[in-house]
Amino acid sequence: MSVIEVEGLVKRFGQFTAVGGISFQVEQGEIFGLLGPNGAGKTTTIRCLLTLIPPTAGTAKIAGFDVFKHQQQVREVSGYVPQDVSVDGDLTGYENLLFYAKLFRIPGVVRKERIKDVIRFMELTDKANELARNYSGGMMRRLEIAQVLINRPRILFLDEPSIGLDPAAKRVVWDYINRLRNEFGATILLTTHDMNEADQLCDHIAIMNGGKIAVTGSPSELKAGLGGDIITIVSSDSNCRQVLEQLGYRLMPRSQDSACDLVVDDGERKIPEIIDKLRSHGIGTLSVSLKVGTLDDVFLKYAGKRIGEGDLTFRTTRAVRRTARRHG
Amino acid sequence: MTVTRLFTDIFTITEFELRKIWHDSSQVFIRAVQPVLWLLVFGEVFSKTRVLPTGDYSYLQFLTPGILAQSVIFVAIFYGFNMVMDRDMGLLHKLLSTPIPRYSIILGKTLSAGVRSIIQALVVFILALLIQVHLILTPVSIIGVLLIITLTGMCFSGFSIFLASLFKTRERMMGIGQAIIMPLFFASSAIYPIDIMPVWLKVLARINPLSYIVEAMRSLLVSGDYHRIGLDFGIIILATAVMIILASTSFSRIIR
Repeated sequence: MSVIEVEGLVKRFGQFTAVGGISFQVEQGEIFGLLGPNGAGKTTTIRCLLTLIPPTAGTAKIAGFDVFKHQQQVREVSGYVPQDVSVDGDLTGYENLLFYAKLFRIPGVVRKERIKDVIRFMELTDKANELARNYSGGMMRRLEIAQVLINRPRILFLDEPSIGLDPAAKRVVWDYINRLRNEFGATILLTTHDMNEADQLCDHIAIMNGGKIAVTGSPSELKAGLGGDIITIVSSDSNCRQVLEQLGYRLMPRSQDSACDLVVDDGERKIPEIIDKLRSHGIGTLSVSLKVGTLDDVFLKYAGKRIGEGDLTFRTTRAVRRTARRHG
Repeated sequence: MTVTRLFTDIFTITEFELRKIWHDSSQVFIRAVQPVLWLLVFGEVFSKTRVLPTGDYSYLQFLTPGILAQSVIFVAIFYGFNMVMDRDMGLLHKLLSTPIPRYSIILGKTLSAGVRSIIQALVVFILALLIQVHLILTPVSIIGVLLIITLTGMCFSGFSIFLASLFKTRERMMGIGQAIIMPLFFASSAIYPIDIMPVWLKVLARINPLSYIVEAMRSLLVSGDYHRIGLDFGIIILATAVMIILASTSFSRIIR
């Protein structure tokens, strides 16, 4: 069942077209990523879906509710974590959560329990009574996510969830996102300009560039569409090449006697199979290496350039986070 | 049901604005510097010279309601700036993605400006009593003044949020805050009687809600003469309602 259905969505700001007619569906319980560089229209798309700004044309339904006609219901089933800092540094972690519990109109009798649950889930217990401005970047992010979890949203919108975080904190956030889907059954729509993030987290991705979706698919499908990965096998047995050809693998012509380059789909999974087959023909291998096609290659193929501008957002968001800690 | 919900939403927003003061009360004192200077320096000096015709009352008695109003406006006029700050972080977008209606957000924010103004005004009040300005302090006058202060805070914070939805950037809002307070203050009866103004300024002072705010506080705290207080309250309530409606309808433009 599709939880998010977008059909021909357009958003113009004056003369500028931020989103130029995009369509996609997100299924119940999946993690769907909008991948693209800054200015691709990802954030604008999310804001249209959340009824924060009215789309210029097209239709969009969130859990069956139309974003034009049923704004209130859309907001009730959605949780939104914006890219920039969205916790109040002048309040404690607990107060930030209590504030949203009240805004989401969680009845007084279950409020405390709910807050306790999200604090435990996001592992914020130690610092719950400290001012949020003293939190580290990763903790702040977790608090930001915790805030919207209080409402147990059916659909979570995460705008650049790991931006500005160091690699360790990034991994922690990814972990939580996965658990959110697995334990709460939430459907997650996230935006990212980070190939690795899209690859690790998302079941499906849509590659956006210049307000348009270039291609949609699962990360492995998209990478497979590149024509395949290359496995290089080195063997002391001179029959290796011959055997591989007999087995029906595609070999690169320029391979030398001792090294064979194979073009395969889904290389990681093919390696054990190939080694087993070689062994059953009595051929041992000295080394095996794999060059996998990345989403960056996919992006290059469909958008005609690489995603490189990510660093800029990284720096600016870092700066905003620092300001947040200083001023709240 | 919806009315209860409306009030719960409003009070929630107000509650958490006030909790911030609880965590950091330093700004209450920083914002008190300017009104304190007006009372202690300007007020003391001018009451010695006796150049301003303030009738049966001392100049300090005349000035105190004006400074009370001024300190309230200082608090309120920066609400638009705060709103822009919240927008520049992600706070405002997140707030707007919750199911609570836009007008509840505005009512909650302006009400918190009102309550915050009371705290600010208390500082001025205490100072006025310390330097022995003679004020009428009855339950009626105190409740009346608190009500006016709250409405004033709501009125000018609404105005400020409305301006923020038009001007949108921190730099502009910073400038606008400065540019508005002083003209508003000088073109009112806050520091001198309207009678001694040139005609053009009289006209401005007559349409400036601040004049009516000061007039109402003066009649409650200084003269005890209530014959125009109905008119004053009427205009204050009307101005507040207009500002809140303007702010509520224009406010979602701030994120576009």
